[in-house]
Amino acid sequence: MNSVPAVEVDGVSKNYGSVSALKPTSFAVPEGRYFVLLGPSGGGKTTTLRMIAGLIRPTTGRVRIGGRDVTDQPANRRDTAMVFQGFALFPHMTVEQNVAYGLELRRLPKDELRDRTAAMLRLVGLTGFEARRPSALSGGQQQRVQLARALVLQTSIVLLDEPLAALDATLRKDMCFELKHIQESVGTTFIHVTHNQEEAMTVADEIALIAAGTLVESGSPREVYETPRCRFTAEFIGENAVFSGPIVEGALRIGGAAPFVRDAEPPLAISVAAENIDLHLQQPDLEQTLPGTVVDVFYLGFSALLHVEVDGGPVVPVRLLSKELDAGIKSGGRVWLSWDPDHARMHTA
Amino acid sequence: MSHDYESRWVYRAKWTYLLSVVGVLMLPVLYTLWISFNANGFGAAEYDFTVFWYVELFKNAEIRTSLAWTVLIAAIVVAITVPMGVMAAKFYQRTRFKVPFVFLMLSPLFVPADVTAAALLVYFKNLNRLVEGLIGVELFDLSLWTAVAGQITWCLPYAFVVILVTMGRFRPEQTEAARTCGADAWQAFWQVEFPQIRPGVFSAGAFVTILSFNEYVRTNFLKGGFDTFPTYLVSYMLNTGMTPEVYAMAGLVSLVSMAAIGLVLVVALRRRIG
Ligand SMILES: Nc1ncnc2c1ncn2[C@@H]1O[C@H](COP(=O)(O)OP(=O)(O)O)[C@@H](O)[C@H]1O
Ligand SMILES: [Mg+2]
Repeated sequence: MNSVPAVEVDGVSKNYGSVSALKPTSFAVPEGRYFVLLGPSGGGKTTTLRMIAGLIRPTTGRVRIGGRDVTDQPANRRDTAMVFQGFALFPHMTVEQNVAYGLELRRLPKDELRDRTAAMLRLVGLTGFEARRPSALSGGQQQRVQLARALVLQTSIVLLDEPLAALDATLRKDMCFELKHIQESVGTTFIHVTHNQEEAMTVADEIALIAAGTLVESGSPREVYETPRCRFTAEFIGENAVFSGPIVEGALRIGGAAPFVRDAEPPLAISVAAENIDLHLQQPDLEQTLPGTVVDVFYLGFSALLHVEVDGGPVVPVRLLSKELDAGIKSGGRVWLSWDPDHARMHTA
Repeated sequence: MSHDYESRWVYRAKWTYLLSVVGVLMLPVLYTLWISFNANGFGAAEYDFTVFWYVELFKNAEIRTSLAWTVLIAAIVVAITVPMGVMAAKFYQRTRFKVPFVFLMLSPLFVPADVTAAALLVYFKNLNRLVEGLIGVELFDLSLWTAVAGQITWCLPYAFVVILVTMGRFRPEQTEAARTCGADAWQAFWQVEFPQIRPGVFSAGAFVTILSFNEYVRTNFLKGGFDTFPTYLVSYMLNTGMTPEVYAMAGLVSLVSMAAIGLVLVVALRRRIG
């Protein structure tokens, strides 16, 4: 693999007047990676992607593609292609004309143009739809056409801004698998923006969390899910019980319970995945337990989700197997929570 | 929502409204048109259909010349105003000062025609004297171009609004998509946006044609030593009163306007069906 990153975002920020859409941010995307920018709406993901695309100019910082500084180049001069959330197909052109548009601009010979367009439509499963207008396609098909239109250019980077957000849940899941397969088969670097964590986990090699104009942390889906470094990550990804409280003698106190974490470096918060919390109906004989009251019980088939209000603390999620509900767990009941200390993760920010 | 529960009075009011619009706006014009095809002219007891008066018109060299001037001015005004309208509409979408900009664009509509015309006349006269003093050429003497300038102030607001409405339906994502496909700003506009706003541009063109063709006040103040059809028509009417030729001239103007509107409708309907 090439040591020069496919994309390098170096201290890039964007201000709109006094509004800061993105604070100075740096990250690099290695070649061939499926990179996902994940975060809540309004966090600055689209802004970041559009600065990589060359659709908006950074207020500060540099964007490098394949090692070359492209900050001053507009979109059409960059080695990037882009898929938008919707409305981006040209309605006055057929599917084939849409896909071929970029190749026409590159003045490709007619046969090659036709061959590459046909091959791309085959890849996204739309052979036979060449003569249709975008308005005669379903939402999923339209997004496939957009993907074909981007991939046919054989740029080294493909940017996707919420490409599946307009699709219904089932279709979105299928398209996720498909996107992942396509990216693996073509080997192009993908940078994909989404607010949907399941989508991000499905497709990503690497996830970068962006919130409030800041890149919070990044890592593989497994890393950000299992060992989030930041409190925000624990709150945003997966289902985690997040506790914070006063630090007394270097230890975190939650409610009135015995101190939970003793550490030289006092953490601001700890989190435990909902599925790693043990629930007891009687006070267990453990040094560290949290008493609380069940607020809600949601039966979800194989598993069940409880919301438990910890005495003097927050309401936290707890996941059980549904059959464990038979022990007499019900809304309003008293429970005690505990966990294996190895499952507690400390967050300093 | 159906109209099942509509009051009978609302229903009657609607028809009264429609009929009075037709009665006041259309009937006089249609009546004039009807008379213009009568061999016996206005007020005659008998109606004999003829195109004689129209043929007479075209035999008159002055009228032919004035028509030529009118068409020439209309063509120039359309060629300048429509692109200006497109640019103004594009600017409107980008500017943060939308309300002041619209006010500025529409302001020619708020000033009475004779005031604009007189103001422009004085302005051009002074400018002409100034420029002549500087470079010795009467660049701003009253001419075709001063008449064109006067008409543009009148036509531009309409072109702007008509184009803006169509442009509002265009999704800007498509321009961005074109740019990421490799199009420069001009290609993205010409190949992706323009085909979609073409009906609006076309309508604006037809609209401006009619406005220019019928414009009297500004043209009369600002034209050089020639007559356009409307200025000829008015001076002819003032000299001779309502002769059959005047009816034919009025009929000609109405027919041209209706033809232009009909063309827009046909194009719009064809697009809807196609
Ligand atoms: N053109 C703009 N003018 C002013 N503020 C903007 C503009 N574009 C984005 N913003 C602001 O920047 C922030 C980040 O937006 P965005 O990048 O679209 O977030 P995301 O894609 O993560 O939802 C938001 O608060 C948004 O309101
Ligand atoms: Mg966004």
